[in-house]
Amino acid sequence: MHRRGVGAGAIAKKKLAEAKYKERGTVLAEDQLNQMSKQLDMFKTNLEEFASKHKQEIRKNPEFRVQFQDMCATIGVDPLASGKGFWSEMLGVGDFYYELGVQIIEVCLALRHRNGGLIMLEELHQQVLKGRGKFAQDVSQDDLIRAIKKLKALGTGFGIIPVGGTYLIQSVPAELNMDHTVVLQLAEEHLLKEGLAWLDLQAAGEAHYWLPALFTDLYSQEITAEEAREALP
Amino acid sequence: MAMSFEWPWQYRFPPFFTLQPNVDTRQKQLAAWCSLVLSFCRLHKQSSMTVMEAQESPLFNNVKLQRKLPVESIQIVLEELRKKGNLEWLDKNKSSFLIMWRRPEEWGKLIYQWGSRLSERSFCGYLKSCGLVVRRVSRSGQNNSVFTLYELTSGEDTEGEEFHGLDEATLLRALQALQQEHKAEIITLGDGRGVKFF
Repeated sequence: MHRRGVGAGAIAKKKLAEAKYKERGTVLAEDQLNQMSKQLDMFKTNLEEFASKHKQEIRKNPEFRVQFQDMCATIGVDPLASGKGFWSEMLGVGDFYYELGVQIIEVCLALRHRNGGLIMLEELHQQVLKGRGKFAQDVSQDDLIRAIKKLKALGTGFGIIPVGGTYLIQSVPAELNMDHTVVLQLAEEHLLKEGLAWLDLQAAGEAHYWLPALFTDLYSQEITAEEAREALP
Repeated sequence: MAMSFEWPWQYRFPPFFTLQPNVDTRQKQLAAWCSLVLSFCRLHKQSSMTVMEAQESPLFNNVKLQRKLPVESIQIVLEELRKKGNLEWLDKNKSSFLIMWRRPEEWGKLIYQWGSRLSERSFCGYLKSCGLVVRRVSRSGQNNSVFTLYELTSGEDTEGEEFHGLDEATLLRALQALQQEHKAEIITLGDGRGVKFF
């Protein structure tokens, strides 16, 4: 009987075929990579042109800023990266968030003795705007969240905790973080069971809990859904 | 489109558009939804709707808030309204419904009261104009007045009455309710229909 495919000869043949396929595979991948790389470069150049043309708009307009950031994110550009380079020099966007970060720290330090290092995003926003004065650039809650994320990356002990449909900003040292977040989340479930909190399944990301009592106190009739949504990064 | 409809605070409360798991909270939520549906339809003079229309209507879809009540929950709200007597399905598939911000029995009562007042007034008025003194003996006197459906909803004599402008479907159900109580009879009058009050 003669069985095919088995035996030293067949095995050697198979190995040779495999090697040939591998080589071909590498060649193909390189081609694709080169193409993609060229496209990405072109995109980056276009984005840089766009950025310099609309520099003023980016600095002045918080909504515009958000959209611009999203564009950058899709091609892996971080305009807030510290250090020299096109982005920080050309736009000064890094400066904007750096300064904002400093203001946030100032507010949190000033109020820490009162609130133990926990402050609602809305209150932080109000305090920051107060500190900036009438003639400063407009700052949105999205800007605050981005600045705080930068602060977190620098290891300054800042935390962002989702609560009641918005965010609680924590400015105490990192070692005390975990317990607080777990407790807050358990509290939400408990409040739901007690009928004090309502469940919202249509918010972006995880389920949100809302406290009607706080809702009517904190929010005046004037506050629109727009402002509520700005709290989400 | 009616002017300045006042949305209740719940309409701007995002979780209002999620059916609540807590039973007590859900009861409050459904009550608020029922109330909202009825006042919305009343102000917009909407007496019937399809479920598809309802899904896209600002009533259940708050675009600004980016929240909409899912269709299963809409069905639950509609069922609550049906149980309360404010809603009637117009087809077997439950795809369209009649919505009545006042139950047919309530409308019936209002219409019957008006009917009694009017005929009594005009009869007594006639007698008085003849120089007779009229003393009312009993409230449930002879009535037997006849009106066309049109007169009831669009006649001069009903201007200022709450049921003026009422849609025919709801009016018919109101009169049917009176018929059941033996207070009225729906009759044919020429081309259309009318009602005789007893």
